[in-house]
Amino acid sequence: MPRIDAHLHVFTKASAEFPREISDVWPADREEPVEKLLGEMEKHQIDQAVLVQMAGASIANHRYLLQCLKDYPNRFLGIGLIPEGHPNPADHMAELTDDTGIIGFRFSTFGGPRDIFAKMDVREFAAYPIWECAAERDYVLWLYPNAINAHLLPYLIQEFPQVRIVLNHLAVCPGAGKFSWDEFGRPQIQVTGYNLFMHTTYRLARFENVNVHLSGQYAFSKEEFPYKDLGGWHHGLLSGFGAKRLMWATDFPWILEEPGYGKLTTVIEELLPNLSEAELADIMGGNAKRILRFPDL
Amino acid sequence: MILPTPEQKAQWEEEGYLVFENAIQGEDLKRLQTAFDYWADACKAEWLDRVEAGESVATFYDIPNPLEKDPIFIDIIDYPSYYGALMAFTDHDLILLGPQVRTVAPWPVSYTGWHPDVGHSNPLHIKVQIYVNDVQPGSGEFGFVPGSHKPDAGPYTRPMRQESMTGHKTFPGKAGTAIMFNSCGWHVSMDNHSDTPRKSIILIYEKRTPGRIGPKQYASISDYCQTPERRKLFSLDG
Repeated sequence: MPRIDAHLHVFTKASAEFPREISDVWPADREEPVEKLLGEMEKHQIDQAVLVQMAGASIANHRYLLQCLKDYPNRFLGIGLIPEGHPNPADHMAELTDDTGIIGFRFSTFGGPRDIFAKMDVREFAAYPIWECAAERDYVLWLYPNAINAHLLPYLIQEFPQVRIVLNHLAVCPGAGKFSWDEFGRPQIQVTGYNLFMHTTYRLARFENVNVHLSGQYAFSKEEFPYKDLGGWHHGLLSGFGAKRLMWATDFPWILEEPGYGKLTTVIEELLPNLSEAELADIMGGNAKRILRFPDL
Repeated sequence: MILPTPEQKAQWEEEGYLVFENAIQGEDLKRLQTAFDYWADACKAEWLDRVEAGESVATFYDIPNPLEKDPIFIDIIDYPSYYGALMAFTDHDLILLGPQVRTVAPWPVSYTGWHPDVGHSNPLHIKVQIYVNDVQPGSGEFGFVPGSHKPDAGPYTRPMRQESMTGHKTFPGKAGTAIMFNSCGWHVSMDNHSDTPRKSIILIYEKRTPGRIGPKQYASISDYCQTPERRKLFSLDG
């Protein structure tokens, strides 16, 4: 069974050939190229990976991702981004998925009522056309909902039960103003001690098309690797979703310095020590291969 | 004090729950509903801001510090219709752990799955859920597995759907109904597929253990707790 890293990012220096947005964390001259990733994967016996677009949602911003997918068609699948407020997201999605290796799209907002007590008409949600397009074209939706959007999800899932959904980063829904970067250049998300998500995203386990990737532990934990304080979250997700709907991921490159790619290949064994060999193999790659339809190597 | 009947005692031991229909009624129920609605409305905007900030659960909200907001929330802690049973089951050594004055939104999925609250090594832990509005079937009513509170019961596993739980019973009821249950038992809020929020109050009690609740916990309502019984219930004298 292949070992598949189900969520990470690569980028190259900003250039006319590969334009991208820049920030303090990914300035124009920083690069975390696919070759560096492949080196880590080879060193730690990881076979395939999901490359998730970052640093810009325009078609042009996706050029480096598209190049990587073209160069290594058997190794990678891609997840794209959609510009916020795009007047015709279906066109954007179609252009990026025309035999490119991009299989789905990542986003965080759904454009429905902020108040869960409001009347819900899912067709009025701003993200409805994206979901409709995903349902028609069999795209995967790669979701990292903002906290104020989490309650909207089951309405969309009910409307589109055929859409494959992957909740990002332990199904956490980050709160506004809770994001920062730490001294290792890693995203940090401030979360409450009480696990709020067991009352929202964990409850989506009932829907068979909803999956979760187990990654980003470093961003939520108050401990160092292996992030034992998140053991309960992992057990909760395993209990709810089962071993067939969880996928391991590293969130490369943010983790390269601390704790390092190699250590993260063992994080599932550390946090879910009672998994059977078969369950562990599923989470480490079997599920990603089946759900995301990775090609045979 | 209305002590439980032999039949109620037997049901409590065997099944782990009791239902008190019309436990709160008349003017007291109106007071409770008025206070609940007023404060739930007053607290909602702040709760939504906290949801947005990732600091509160998105699928229900509790009125913060309800005991300080209206005396009716104190009066229901030792309300005669069920207080005698609470005292009898805890050998007249009862403490309040806390109230949850809770509004649960209609949502395609219940906000929680089947679970017990405590293990059998815990001192007797009892909850009383009081419906503030009428709770119809399919609108977030309480669910319980009779007998699941016993040490030799089960094992139980959490099903994907609430209605798939083996041996469960659901408890729709009119406003003012109180359901008392042993928190070792498996329980849940059923799905609310209606368009009506479920308004209820969950009172959490335990058989006293030294130091469980400090005297400062409820010091702010000390003026409303002048009798020795109330001071003991609210752990006001340590």
